[in-house]
Amino acid sequence: MSLIAVPLLVLWPAAIAAALLDGRRRGIGVLAIAALTAALGLLAVLLAAVVTGGPRELVAGGWPGDVGIRLRVDALGAVFAVLSCSVLLAALVQAVLTGIRSRAMPALTLFMALGLTGLFLTGDIFSFYVFFELAMISAYALTAAGGSGRELGAAFLFAVVNLVGSFLFLIAIGALYRATGTLEMEAVAAQAAPLEPNTAIPIAITFFVAFGIKLGLFPFHFWLPTVYVSVSPPVGAMFAGALANIGAYGLLRFGAAILPAELEFSATALIVIGTVSIAYGALQAIARRDTREVLAYSAIGHAGYVLVALGLGGPAGLTAAVIFSLANAINKALLFLASELRGPLVASAFLIGALSVAGVPPTAGFFGKAALFEAGIDAGSVATVALLFVGGALSFVYLFQIYQHDRWRPRAEREREMPTGRANAGQRGIAVALALVVLALGLWPEPLLAIGERAAQDLAATGARP
Amino acid sequence: MNLVFAVVIGALFGAGVYLLLKPDLFRVVLGLVLVSNAASLTLMASGLTRGQAPIAPVTGPEPVADPLVQAMTVTALVIGFAVTALLLALVFGVSRTGHSVDLDALSRAEAREAEAAEARELAHDEEREPDTREHQQRGHDEVTR
Repeated sequence: MSLIAVPLLVLWPAAIAAALLDGRRRGIGVLAIAALTAALGLLAVLLAAVVTGGPRELVAGGWPGDVGIRLRVDALGAVFAVLSCSVLLAALVQAVLTGIRSRAMPALTLFMALGLTGLFLTGDIFSFYVFFELAMISAYALTAAGGSGRELGAAFLFAVVNLVGSFLFLIAIGALYRATGTLEMEAVAAQAAPLEPNTAIPIAITFFVAFGIKLGLFPFHFWLPTVYVSVSPPVGAMFAGALANIGAYGLLRFGAAILPAELEFSATALIVIGTVSIAYGALQAIARRDTREVLAYSAIGHAGYVLVALGLGGPAGLTAAVIFSLANAINKALLFLASELRGPLVASAFLIGALSVAGVPPTAGFFGKAALFEAGIDAGSVATVALLFVGGALSFVYLFQIYQHDRWRPRAEREREMPTGRANAGQRGIAVALALVVLALGLWPEPLLAIGERAAQDLAATGARP
Repeated sequence: MNLVFAVVIGALFGAGVYLLLKPDLFRVVLGLVLVSNAASLTLMASGLTRGQAPIAPVTGPEPVADPLVQAMTVTALVIGFAVTALLLALVFGVSRTGHSVDLDALSRAEAREAEAAEARELAHDEEREPDTREHQQRGHDEVTR
């Protein structure tokens, strides 16, 4: 029962303690790593318990169930929490090994972990907003942490655009509360079912815009490349592998679980926006040479896949959306962490990440793409299957372009453009470990697939419950 | 009452968005403050009911006012306040490193900087090129000799 609250109670004091101390000292970084590892362990136990025993709940403060604030965790929330914390941990370890130059970095990482864990584990729409804002504010501050003009400018753009998204989200919460009279997700889902389309559709669109901004979908993507290009690789990994999960999870939770009728109603629109996102992201990525810029546009394209999967709908579509988001987050984290290191081992790790993004077996990405194919075939949509194939081919092209550009040129020419020293063993170890995870999930995908299906079932159950 | 709320929220949001589109960073922050207040007011308006104070134990048959919207609004205000402070700190940082809070001036300066970097790069290349050519020439001479 209390297993839900414990990861939050580990992260919270650790984050505050780290905020008061100087994060540039190695000890503080190690403390942050220890706290994050402990939380990750607890979350893994929670995930195992949820997968075997079904969703769990905790009403804060011992209030009666309909008064208190509810923490609720199902397979979807637990797996996203585990994934996000793992990515944050990998990125933080790499940052500590590289040497942290900004005082607040370990504390901000912990606050981001706290915000992400909280929002994946909450069953209350307003606490979702609070945790979400906590994670986002840490992200703004992390972008600015370097202190140069470019980073500050990027952080300002990031913060302003995403805050507009947050306030739209807040307005949508107000509207949903007005329409349903409750904030508790399951009750909202039950109350929202009989709503008139006139009321429900504008609310659904506002939620969609809010999460579209976070996820970097095509018409709302303009902030994303600026931010991804100006941050360091570990922070980029945190954004692409952990923070972007908010958008995917939010669309799944608010779309598929809370407003399923509205999601179905707008399926065509979602598929169209998703398709444009995929095409735009891939074509822009092909035109770029800077690794981080390519990864940023690639993230825009991959947001489109999640949307297409949601638009296809049904159990197969939801499962595909979950599996694809999970595989994609690990891929992106791996590519960011390997992007600025040199050496044959890291190059192979990058290669595995690139193959995984393109969806070549035996990697985790293959099963993400395969699930999408299955959903497309189930829905009988030839266009979707063709789109997936073209999208995969394009991602193959742009990733191998940067692989060639970064690693197959004479050393002197490369180093003039991007002077990077040889990575130490620890840094390389992190990239290789992530690559091994990607490979392991590709060779033994049953856990990934089972969790994806389970998460999709839990989602559908929320909406169906009376 | 709903109409008054709707009009005020609309006006605040509109003014906020107008300021957001200005090139001056301070105005952008002010615009965001207005948008955040529009959101807080929406939360307030979403559950505003008349009734007795929602303090336990509840006495009498009169309905209880909804305390939840006020709790949400206070939370949203606090978050908005923290975010404004962060944004102002960012604007301060930008003005210190870029010597301006005007986006047009900042992007002009950035473009100038990029041009200068490119010019340096070109100069660097030209400096190198003659010397490689000479090197090749010498190699060629050696072969002919």
